[in-house]
Amino acid sequence: MEKRPTFYEEVTDSGVPRRDFLKFCTAMAALLGLESSGVGQIVKALETKPRLPVIWFHFQECTCCSESFIRSSHPEVADIVLNKISLDYQETLMAASGVNAEEAYKAVMEKFPGEYLVMVEGSIPTEDEAYCCIGGRSAYQILEEAVKNCKAVVAWGNCASAGCVQAASPNPTGAKPVHKVISGKPVINVQGCPPIADVMVGVVVHLLTFDRIPQLDGLGRPKSFYSRRVHDTCYRRANFDAGLFVESFDDEGAKKGYCLYKMGCKGPVTYNSCGIIKWNDGVSYPIQSGHGCIGCSEAGFWDNGPFYEHLPSVAGFGIETNADKIGLGLGVLTAAGIAGHAIVTNVRKHKEIMNEQEEGSSSEKTKEI
Amino acid sequence: MRSRSIPMREVHVWELPVRIYHWINALCIVALCITGYIIGEPLAFMKGTEAYFNYWFGTVRFIHFVAAFLFFFNFIFRIYWGFAGNEFARWYNFIPLKRSQWKEIMDVIRVDILQITHKRIDSIGHNSLASLIYFVTFLFFLVQCLTGFGMYAAMSTSFLPKMFAWVVPMLGGDMNVRQLHHIFMWGFILFALVHMYLVFYHDYIERRGVTSSMIGGWKFIEEDVVDRHKPEAGKKS
Amino acid sequence: MAERIVIDPITRIEGHLRVEIEVNNGVITDAFSAGTMVRGIEAILKGRDPRDAWAFVGRVCGVCTSTHSLTSVRTVENALGIVAPPNAELIRNLMANALYIHDHVVHFYVLHALDWVDVVSCLKADPAETSRIAQSISPWPKSSVGYFSDVQTKIKKFVESGQLGIFANGYWGHSAYKLPAEVNLLAVAHYLEALEWQKEIVKVHTIFGGKNPHPNYLVGGVPCSINIDEANAVNAERLAFVGQLFLDAKTFVDQVYIPDLLAIASFYKSDWGAIGGGLSNYLSFGDFPSNGYNNPESFKIPRGVILNRDLSKVHEVKAEDQDQIQEYINNSWYEYSKGDQVGLHPWEGETKLKYTGPKPPYEHLDFGQKYSWVKTPRWKGLPMEVGPLSRMLVGYASGRQDIKDVVDSTLKALDVPVTALFSTLGRTAARGLETKLTCDWALEFYQQLLANIKNGDTRTMNNEKWEPESWPKLAKGIGMVEAPRGALSHFIVIEDKKIGNYQLVVPTTWNSSPRDPKGQRSAYEESLIGTPIADPKNPLEVLRTIHSFDPCLACAVH
Ligand code: HEM
Ligand code: HEM
Ligand code: NFV
Ligand code: SF4
Ligand code: SF4
Ligand code: F3S
Ligand SMILES: [Mg+2]
Repeated sequence: MEKRPTFYEEVTDSGVPRRDFLKFCTAMAALLGLESSGVGQIVKALETKPRLPVIWFHFQECTCCSESFIRSSHPEVADIVLNKISLDYQETLMAASGVNAEEAYKAVMEKFPGEYLVMVEGSIPTEDEAYCCIGGRSAYQILEEAVKNCKAVVAWGNCASAGCVQAASPNPTGAKPVHKVISGKPVINVQGCPPIADVMVGVVVHLLTFDRIPQLDGLGRPKSFYSRRVHDTCYRRANFDAGLFVESFDDEGAKKGYCLYKMGCKGPVTYNSCGIIKWNDGVSYPIQSGHGCIGCSEAGFWDNGPFYEHLPSVAGFGIETNADKIGLGLGVLTAAGIAGHAIVTNVRKHKEIMNEQEEGSSSEKTKEI
Repeated sequence: MRSRSIPMREVHVWELPVRIYHWINALCIVALCITGYIIGEPLAFMKGTEAYFNYWFGTVRFIHFVAAFLFFFNFIFRIYWGFAGNEFARWYNFIPLKRSQWKEIMDVIRVDILQITHKRIDSIGHNSLASLIYFVTFLFFLVQCLTGFGMYAAMSTSFLPKMFAWVVPMLGGDMNVRQLHHIFMWGFILFALVHMYLVFYHDYIERRGVTSSMIGGWKFIEEDVVDRHKPEAGKKS
Repeated sequence: MAERIVIDPITRIEGHLRVEIEVNNGVITDAFSAGTMVRGIEAILKGRDPRDAWAFVGRVCGVCTSTHSLTSVRTVENALGIVAPPNAELIRNLMANALYIHDHVVHFYVLHALDWVDVVSCLKADPAETSRIAQSISPWPKSSVGYFSDVQTKIKKFVESGQLGIFANGYWGHSAYKLPAEVNLLAVAHYLEALEWQKEIVKVHTIFGGKNPHPNYLVGGVPCSINIDEANAVNAERLAFVGQLFLDAKTFVDQVYIPDLLAIASFYKSDWGAIGGGLSNYLSFGDFPSNGYNNPESFKIPRGVILNRDLSKVHEVKAEDQDQIQEYINNSWYEYSKGDQVGLHPWEGETKLKYTGPKPPYEHLDFGQKYSWVKTPRWKGLPMEVGPLSRMLVGYASGRQDIKDVVDSTLKALDVPVTALFSTLGRTAARGLETKLTCDWALEFYQQLLANIKNGDTRTMNNEKWEPESWPKLAKGIGMVEAPRGALSHFIVIEDKKIGNYQLVVPTTWNSSPRDPKGQRSAYEESLIGTPIADPKNPLEVLRTIHSFDPCLACAVH
């Protein structure tokens, strides 16, 4: 029970003799262009390399990322957990509790330094560490220790990628995403609240299949799933271009599937795969079911509300105030200022003209000043 | 109204490229503000029809993008002309590094804005306050181009917008960029209002023909001013 | 000699729960439960648009996802006097039903089963015997000898690999496991099936709310429109999809969940039908309106309180009554402006964090003072148990025939008295029974929805008070829902079109809270008292009772 099977053990367990295993290694070496001495390296690597151990932490979160994860359809979660990775610590699913549970991740850290993945669901409070404790230790203490020797970090969802709802103003606990509290390790931000199940497993499969970190965008999100705006792949886009908008929920336009832009849809400013992969095995996505995108895969989206307005309200002016209302106000003020100024100017000019008529030249007058 | 007794001289202030630039710029900004506003707040004038037959909103956006490119290259040209153009077009006018410029700024505020003193402002090109404001508008142009092309990068494969792809992550996401872009529109509207008013105001007060100067390039400047500041400027005519 | 045992983290729950128990001579004599994570969502809601609140509170929990959103739109509608159209009510019911079915099935198999089922023991099972048992208790087709021996081989390979992953360090081999190897194998097979199946029923949320977890809601109705002549709206295909999902759910619940529940219960009923009863007061807000939310008599699950396990009387619940529901913080890390000993009705509720516990890392919490992030709600000063058991009891006591029928037939099938309900096993059984009822109710609501549409009513939204201009300067509202884990209520004060105050009193808050100023324990702590602990190093018994409540700490604290 203690030992994990190596690639070698797995191959030989399934009935392949060692001779064939060595042959395979030689072929691999040739393929990689190694000297014959390199064969030994490969043999050693495959004989001793365990399957990918994973520690999955829950910090300040709602477990919807775990919930989303178990909704995956290709591969299904049982397949991932039983065959693809070794999910050695996952509080929602694991059998052990208490010290037994803690021992599970400590064992991984001890036995596989530099090899294991840390997956994080939830943000880390920084105002007071006691805002999130597990087994008497703070989220920060646990995370800091665990990432020290990990291979990479997967930040699940908006919580771990950007702080999500608990980081919304006024962020009472000082909630921060993973990449803001640790350094020196690659962090993959799998965004969304939660991320789409198949995107989550897609990232895992990418890591396993290609054995490398997927290409990330400027905000640390895998490009394979976050390089397109929801708007760019939205099937209602034709209505957007045609200027056919839902004007109120369940109006005639809504019943016809018009564009939800005027109901505050944040699809134009949100990078996610909802329009392509869709949710829960491709059944639908928010817009298809009549509600605008609220931008759940974007950092800080909670403070870009109200959700039913195209523009966010401007902080300090109340929910009903956006840039247009302020702009219009300033415009009116400016116009009033101009009008006032014009009146004063006219009075002055009038005087000047009168003076000119009396005294001759205005320029002489101005010169005196 | 009597004509002035003081002798005036015609000075060629705005070269043709500056004038062309100015009007392209003005037109673009008007177009961008109108289309931009519609993009932010689309009109509701269609119902019950099929997307297939329409493209009006797409057209509005298309006009915005065409105007945006024109605006951008026009702006680039103006940056270049700040190094190549005549003394009134040059960059040193716009950035108040000299004491005399600051003095003039204070004077303009007192004379033209607050109207608490009467005094002639001697500048031939822009006065120093106007220059400073224009400099700020140039910065607005820059921001608007950065945010605009930053947003555009996501919907384009061409290299120019792609060069701005870094803007969105830097500002933390498209929403922030869009909001900024939208807020700055109001900066342009306010500027244009005040700007046009002041052009007419100066024409009225100073009687140097400022309004038409952006059409023909000429201003009428008091001889003593020309002699003092730029004796050769007037002679060119 | 008293021994202090800490279990932290309690796993296979939602969130961060710590339990410390005192064991004397192999029996628990005192217990403390603490929520150890806080986010301050009530504070975050202040000043926001009430129409957005559903999305914020939705993120309180991704396990009972949607239930807070539903509560929130009911709360705001209650404050503003908005009545959602009948179709919206029905769709909300269907979504809530789908949540029950999903949440309860996942709880039973993924979160709770390993307390009763020894995974490792299933390796010793005879698949032929398992097959025989399976076929004797259910017509579920996946029951061949080959099927079970495949499952067994899978588990065998998995165990032998040494990569025990999520099954590592479990309490395997513990003396409290009582199932024969064959039944263990059956349960493990269904564990894997449930894991695969659960992702189907949530598609009801995806169809109506666009995604799951965290589907979309809307103040005034539901966001999806119905248009049977349009591909872009809820049409015949979408409706048929929903119908099929519920039919399949009913099959799974009737043929897998319920037979498994009864099979497992029959092995544990003699002891666990008497352990873990805890409190004797039960609260239900009632839910699943069949004729409008403002018409509580039409609810499938009735509203009411049972005191002292007296099933002959159901007391009336009035959430707006300032003396009925109050929250205390005398043992919770918060501050009230009127001092720590008072209880506040949630309209006056306050959420100001103030941590006074030990600095992490710590060995023990100090139970002489505040020890949890969970507040302590009380009904007329009394601690209440909430959840499926409370619902079934209130329904039973109110004389609801459908509820009485399933409860009575189950008691009969297990050959246990009605008092067996007041126990850990009773709680777990009640959850299964209500899942069965929910499947039937959902199909009823589904038929009602079809009938409405057929009669030409396709409205899903009431836009009358959508615009904030139409709102009063001050408005107060309450929304009540029966969440999967029990009675859930939200309280709002809307001031100047913004949220002035928003408070959530959540099922797990009722159940998991620390002691009140009178020293009364809440449900978790009370239910552990008297539980025998065979092996203090492996306190499996604690997990059984705690898990029977299906804890959700993200909910409890929020
Ligand atoms: C004076 C200059 C400009 C003004 C006043 C202006 C104004 C606006 C406004 C008000 C919006 C609507 C924002 C919203 O509320 O959603 C907008 C959108 C946009 N603008 Fe501009 N804009 C200007 C220049 C540019 C430039 C130089 C570009 C460069 C390409 C640009 C690209 C865009 C883009 C891509 C959008 C988003 C359109 C969409 O996704 O539908 N804009 N603009
Ligand atoms: C009726 C319309 C307009 C007239 C008559 C006009 C006239 C002028 C004149 C006379 C100047 C030189 C000002 C000076 O000497 O201080 C000027 C400069 C300028 N105007 Fe306008 N203008 C008009 C509209 C606009 C608009 C709509 C914009 C853009 C929002 C604009 C942008 C500028 C800028 C940026 C400069 C600085 C030019 C430079 O030196 O590059 N103008 N305009
Ligand atoms: N307690 C709780 Fe919930 C539920 N059910 C909600 O109100 O779990 Ni997350
Ligand atoms: S990102 Fe969203 S879904 Fe995931 S844990 Fe956080 S709140 Fe839940
Ligand atoms: S519904 Fe939203 S994402 Fe789709 S086209 Fe309209 S604005 Fe874009
Ligand atoms: S709200 Fe989220 S689920 Fe997709 S459509 Fe928008 S990113
Ligand atoms: Mg609360």
